[in-house]
Amino acid sequence: MDRYGNYLYAYAMSRLRNADVAADCVQDTFLAGIKALERFDGSRDIKFWLRGIMRNKIVDQIRKSIKENKVDIDNEDETLLESFWFKYSGIATTNPDPWQFNPRKAYDNTEFWDVFNVCIDKVKQPARQAFVLRMLEDMETEEVCKVMDITPNYLWVLLHRARQQLKVALEEKWTGKDVK
Amino acid sequence: MFTCKQVSHSLSKEDYAKLSPAKRFFLQLHVKLCIFCGKFNRQVMDGQDMCRHFKQYEATNCQCAPELQEGQKDELKALLAAQSAKSSKN
Repeated sequence: MDRYGNYLYAYAMSRLRNADVAADCVQDTFLAGIKALERFDGSRDIKFWLRGIMRNKIVDQIRKSIKENKVDIDNEDETLLESFWFKYSGIATTNPDPWQFNPRKAYDNTEFWDVFNVCIDKVKQPARQAFVLRMLEDMETEEVCKVMDITPNYLWVLLHRARQQLKVALEEKWTGKDVK
Repeated sequence: MFTCKQVSHSLSKEDYAKLSPAKRFFLQLHVKLCIFCGKFNRQVMDGQDMCRHFKQYEATNCQCAPELQEGQKDELKALLAAQSAKSSKN
């Protein structure tokens, strides 16, 4: 608990962005870990084994929060959202804006990742949930659609939106300029 | 030939590996020739790359991550001790 508690809490916080829910997740993870301890074969670091358990708890929490806020997802018309980017023929109408700085050059700077972590918070729901499941938890498109109860097209819209919002937030925080 | 919509969906879903070699060739050709899809592909790849690096950073040397409060830790420790005692009885 002393060794991995904070790591798991930070992991849950970066995905769930809610201190109470993250603490509950840590608790559930340790409890599930104790129950399943005899199945741990020692082939990998116990930290990552616990993280694997926590991943399922995070997905459960996201599923639960989506059920509670279902209206937010159903509210939007995916055809309308897509029409901003594509003509009826499927040809693109807008170009994604280039980066205001080169993020790859900032990878070695630990401060950049702290800023990145803060910026994930700037992505609005449900795009953030889609981003967390697909990009941070590496879940397959089909799995994410099942958890979020959305179509693959709508997931595309959410991920695109999440990337855009994250980019704007990163540019604003990292370069110190207000880019809109 | 693919439309921009099909290409961007495929790039976003990362399902291009499942496409046939011929389809993959046309998809790559489209990305090379189309300004929108080239930029979109770059954006998707930047996102994937960034997330991969973030996860590495998170697993190894996250310095200013939020921490559990002492009260929460004590509560959790007591709960875990009770749970361990319960499972060792069984």
